[in-house]
Amino acid sequence: MDLAEIMQVYFSAGMIKPIFIRTARAVSAQDSFNSNDLLQPVRSLTGNRFTYLEPNYQDYFTIMQLRRMSRITRLGLVTAIECLRDAGDIQPEAIITGTGKGSLTDTEKFIHAVREFGEGTLNPSPFIQSTYNSLNGLIGLHHHINSYNSTYVHSGFSLEHALLDAAIQLNEQSIRTALVGSFEEMTPEHYIIKDKLDFWKKEIDSPDAVMKSSPGAISGEGSFFFFLDYQQGAAPLQLVDLALLFEPGEGAVLRAMEGMLKQHGLGWDQLDIYLSGRNQDSRHDHYYEEVEHCLSATTHQLHFKHLSGEFDTAAGFGLWAAVRMAETNQLFPSMIRKQGSTPSMDYMLLYNQYYGKQHCIYLLKKT
Amino acid sequence: MPSVFITGMGIVSALGIGTASQREKLAAGVSGLGPATFLNSIHKTEFPFGEVPFSTEELFSKLSDHSKLQQSRLQALGALALEECFTGGAQQPAGIRQGLINATTVGGMTDIEDRYFELIKPELIEPDMSLAAGLDCATGTEHLARQFNLTDFVTTISTACSSSANAIQLGARLLQQGVLDRVVCGGVDSLTRFTVNGFNSLKNLDRNACKPFDSNRNGLNLGEGAAYLLLESERSIEKTGNKPLAVLSGYANFNEAFHPTAPSPEGLGAYEAMKRTLEKAGISPASVSFINAHGTATLNNDEAESMAIHRLFGETVPPFASTKVYTGHTLAASGAIEAVFSLLSLQHQEIYPALNFETPIEATGLIPCQTYQELQVEHILSNSFGFGGNNASLLFSRYD
Repeated sequence: MDLAEIMQVYFSAGMIKPIFIRTARAVSAQDSFNSNDLLQPVRSLTGNRFTYLEPNYQDYFTIMQLRRMSRITRLGLVTAIECLRDAGDIQPEAIITGTGKGSLTDTEKFIHAVREFGEGTLNPSPFIQSTYNSLNGLIGLHHHINSYNSTYVHSGFSLEHALLDAAIQLNEQSIRTALVGSFEEMTPEHYIIKDKLDFWKKEIDSPDAVMKSSPGAISGEGSFFFFLDYQQGAAPLQLVDLALLFEPGEGAVLRAMEGMLKQHGLGWDQLDIYLSGRNQDSRHDHYYEEVEHCLSATTHQLHFKHLSGEFDTAAGFGLWAAVRMAETNQLFPSMIRKQGSTPSMDYMLLYNQYYGKQHCIYLLKKT
Repeated sequence: MPSVFITGMGIVSALGIGTASQREKLAAGVSGLGPATFLNSIHKTEFPFGEVPFSTEELFSKLSDHSKLQQSRLQALGALALEECFTGGAQQPAGIRQGLINATTVGGMTDIEDRYFELIKPELIEPDMSLAAGLDCATGTEHLARQFNLTDFVTTISTACSSSANAIQLGARLLQQGVLDRVVCGGVDSLTRFTVNGFNSLKNLDRNACKPFDSNRNGLNLGEGAAYLLLESERSIEKTGNKPLAVLSGYANFNEAFHPTAPSPEGLGAYEAMKRTLEKAGISPASVSFINAHGTATLNNDEAESMAIHRLFGETVPPFASTKVYTGHTLAASGAIEAVFSLLSLQHQEIYPALNFETPIEATGLIPCQTYQELQVEHILSNSFGFGGNNASLLFSRYD
């Protein structure tokens, strides 16, 4: 194996011990939040966009509080609140988030206000909430958590770098628990900008069928939070390894996966579940196809972009589903792309890439 | 914990390009603040700014190679600092894993804000859309990583004004855990109309040069710039033969969960960040030779930081100063810029004078060091505090 690629298997290369995911929460375009599963009827997309099914905020905040919070701030905070509640309202020893774009609504609102009022007297709220780490600060404020606190804003690596940061601190035992999450929204304005950058499919996709293969993806949104622990306890899922590859060369993704499996004494046929970030973008789907060729017929092949849409931190949907499937000991039917023959669900491989640039491979194990 | 060696540094600020130019101005007590020339804002002459005194085109002309960069002020500033910091990019020793940990508050906003309203019109087809990708913070970082062959690991941190101090901390952890062997850490921000109006809406901008730690201080001045440190593990130094400039001996990050934009009056976050940094390094407060304070000159920060310093150091506060009056507050770049200033102090065994100070803050009576001094400098504590209650401190120690 080429040395340069082994380097990118981070947990293994750094001899970082596995970490445990105790609880997981998701707010997405699907009804994933209220029952914390994916068993409700599938919500279809409108145009080429999946948009949030928003929680009932009145359950969490007063009218006064809501007035001060923007869309993604509310969404992210509610996701974090429920994730912490599931974990028994224990104060995490770190809050680490990832977001590709932060609060786009606030950023845009402030850009518009600067022009509209000719750089005059402006309301500072959108400026403050446009700051990428403002949600982190609010989670800390809301739960009175004095702790390590950081925010990663690196596109398709944002969530994974937050997980990596938590993992190295759990590993060195400077912390014992961490709240790690991601949050992302899409606005009509930013949809236009990304459309001009060829992010989206040009034709409107049929709302009922699985997406068709063509250049571009379907836009999505999602907010995911995970409570991590250095010890197993009652955690349903273990993050065994994580490999991150930036603009990998030909065949590098497969070699990284094979290296990772080998490192943990596994073969392809020992994977019970494969979670794919495949999004029917014909420009980059070859990465997923190469992996599919290696999979055993025993492995259940699952996907999720037809439920979540595409966004920087969409892998969070797959990770959330993995935690919840491990805990409930069942596959989510709406995610099954190809049923495998194995009755077990011990080892799971999650692979997601974002427009060919950032590639993330998660090796997960049901506890 | 394995040692984290600092073997390279690079910087661009209102004091000029390169470490030599910074040291000359710092030692002479010459501020880089003044009216802005290149910032497109009606406020450009109303407030003093720490603007890098070159147009974007001039910045590019000073780079030896920018073939993989976009025509972006953010990327030009970053590349100039990286070029000075990391000269060995083309020769990656076998088995050495290297990366870039960048920090920014608004990414390529400067490059986009003038064209934004065209970008959002669906019917307008732009001849070159590529700069629009700069609205994502990752874009500038990735162009810099490609230019300098730092692509094994690439990330961007955004925790407001403590961003690059957190980038340096992550770099240290990745080295200490053996995930990477050498890593370039730092940050970059360019002046934008967006940020200038943001701080103006918070009524945080002083119309005159700022007065850190003065009882009559009246807000901050904004600046721009970039700075990076090259951190190496022992394993990497054995292969590269690089000579350490200093050691990063302690670091901490502590969120005080008090208020979205203001510190607690007693400076709990600042206190904990400094205290934990010294604990990590295993040294007592009495061993600190100098404190490079965050010292933005806002009413809240300087009071809270003074209280925290007072509480931690008691009656024997070491010499301290803030360099914000030299460079302006460079936001995500400030932690790394001031890390470079701290390293210059360690390297040359000297400390630089605080400017613009007259009257101490009543509650603490702390007086910053106001003269250039040659001094035995062993350990420098550097503070970076940000919105959201994010407090980070770093401890730089002399390498013998």
